[in-house]
Amino acid sequence: MTASILYIEDDLEIGRFVNEHLLEQGYSVNWQRSGEHALESAAGCRLVILDVMLPGLDGFTIGQRLKKAAPDLPILMLSARTSIDDKLQGLQFADDYLTKPFHPDELIARIEVLLRRSGARTAEPLAIKHLLVHEQQNRIENRDTGEEIMLTGKQFHIFGYLLRHLGQILTKEQIYEAVWGEAYIEGDKTLMVHIRYLREKIERDPASPEIIETVRGIGYRVRA
Amino acid sequence: MKKPNLRTRSMRFRQTLLSRYLLIVIFAFLFIPIVFPLASIGYVIIQENSKQADDNFLKYGSSRELTAMWHGEAALLQETEAAEVDRRLQELKRKYKEASLFWVDSSGATKLQLPPQSLLPERWSPADAVRFMKDSIDSDPFTIVSFLGAEHKGRAFMVMQMPRSIIQLDRPVGAGTPFYIAALIGMISLFFLISLLFFRRIRKRLIGLQAAMALQGENGLPQPIAISRNDEIGQLETAFNRMVGQLKESAERERAEAELRKQLIASLSHDLRTPLTVMNSQLYTLQKEPLSEKAQAAVKQVEHKISGLDSLIENLLSYTLMASGRYPIKLERLDLLRIVRESVASWYPLWEQEGISADIDLPEEAMLLTLDKAGFRRVLDNLFQNVTRHAKNGSYIGIRMGTYDGRAALVIRDRGNGLAAHSASKGAGLGLAIVEYLLHEMKLGWHMASSDEGMAVYIFEL
Repeated sequence: MTASILYIEDDLEIGRFVNEHLLEQGYSVNWQRSGEHALESAAGCRLVILDVMLPGLDGFTIGQRLKKAAPDLPILMLSARTSIDDKLQGLQFADDYLTKPFHPDELIARIEVLLRRSGARTAEPLAIKHLLVHEQQNRIENRDTGEEIMLTGKQFHIFGYLLRHLGQILTKEQIYEAVWGEAYIEGDKTLMVHIRYLREKIERDPASPEIIETVRGIGYRVRA
Repeated sequence: MKKPNLRTRSMRFRQTLLSRYLLIVIFAFLFIPIVFPLASIGYVIIQENSKQADDNFLKYGSSRELTAMWHGEAALLQETEAAEVDRRLQELKRKYKEASLFWVDSSGATKLQLPPQSLLPERWSPADAVRFMKDSIDSDPFTIVSFLGAEHKGRAFMVMQMPRSIIQLDRPVGAGTPFYIAALIGMISLFFLISLLFFRRIRKRLIGLQAAMALQGENGLPQPIAISRNDEIGQLETAFNRMVGQLKESAERERAEAELRKQLIASLSHDLRTPLTVMNSQLYTLQKEPLSEKAQAAVKQVEHKISGLDSLIENLLSYTLMASGRYPIKLERLDLLRIVRESVASWYPLWEQEGISADIDLPEEAMLLTLDKAGFRRVLDNLFQNVTRHAKNGSYIGIRMGTYDGRAALVIRDRGNGLAAHSASKGAGLGLAIVEYLLHEMKLGWHMASSDEGMAVYIFEL
């Protein structure tokens, strides 16, 4: 299934390149050079990539309107404006903020994270090492044995959070606060205990984990 | 704005606080020479009035009236008409019941006595008369002696003796002194009260002015105040309002200027980055073509330069904001180590890619400091970027808690070529200037120690 992306960018050269790059990656792209028809064009899209400096309405205004009309539609700001003020203003409504010049691979990575996070889950199962994760059915399968791995609610939450940030290192605080929804208390061992049990269920060898990687002193990471 | 006249001519002298103050001072000076005599005169007048009022209450009037009456009666009588004298005395006795009356004829014989008195001599010798008169002076009863006849020429006389209690109220001398003192105290109190009220009014208005200065409106500036009077404090209030107006104007001008600067930087950033983005994308396309090894290396180098230029632009624009004091800093109590971990988490993949091994040893306990989150992330980004760019050959970054000069410090260590490597690139200078600025804003100190083994950066609380 190809996800359609609404891409608003006034610069011809950048627009042409990104358009092509996205098409190559298998997305269908609706590239517009101004935000005039953004609201109508957003219908049926799975993601919006928005420049800030546009003729007519600026990207912030368009983004806010889009978010109001379709709160679940992820918005990625792609801007040459890098000041903290701009980022903060953008992130008030946008789901991510990428500054120009950007690496094309990073753009694709961010798009994938956003699509996965927005619940627009792909029907295709995600393969990580020996695991096959069926996101839509909340089911995890061991490819070695073909058995389903049953996780507790919290374990599933933690694993899901790591999967939604594939390739990113997440600190203990970030994971704890995302899963438990409350401020992390220093020295709390709850998360470590949960991760230990989680590893026992999903890792081939829990003593040397391959899926949930510990980044010493920092946190955890799941790599595709 | 209307140009205000500093020395407003419309402020008349009698409106000034000075004039009122002088009035009070003059009053204070006149207090002794005028108020004391005034009080004394008032006292005397009151005393007299009250005495007359008292006299009206006396049964037979005052001693003076009684004396006049007695002399009047005597003038109408003649010694030769003794019976007439007796009859008149009896009439008077009926009128003045408390009085003792008698009369003596020209030969010195005591005639009618009402009532009879044993002590009176039968016949009056001159010595008797003198003794009687002497005894009677200022004694009780009050004695009136009057010679008979029209001109009081006769030698016969008649006497009336009246107990003093009937004709005089019992009033000791100086009975009015407490009132006199009370009046004086009253006057002094009034003076104090007036001075106090005068001073209190000034104080109240000054405090009101002070409160107005401390109060901040929605724009962070004090609000203009209502001018109460056209005196010195009124002038002060006018000046204050004028100052508020100027402050407001300059704040607006500053805001407009800041907005303009921000706009300029934003469009500058856009205009500089757009070509970089295009170059970057073209390079990406080029990379996917089959290239010779030499061309691959060239592409790699251009890519490196583009990213260097990008961060240079970023630093330059940020530094412009910082230099003009427009860089937003929001200080709050935050865990420094948490920010460090999050920053390292985002840098870690790049270090892996570049073959830099990260040695991270941070304690579990939070290290709460007053920080600006984005600013501290920026400091770390600049420092990490320096390590990644200029100390790559050391293949090492160590991030741990240590001490600097006896203080707990975050230590970022690399195994590059030390300061020489860092300063080889001019761009690093700007990045470090930003580090310097931001850490200074967060009241943190930092120190760079360079050696052959590499560079160590210490960040500590001042």
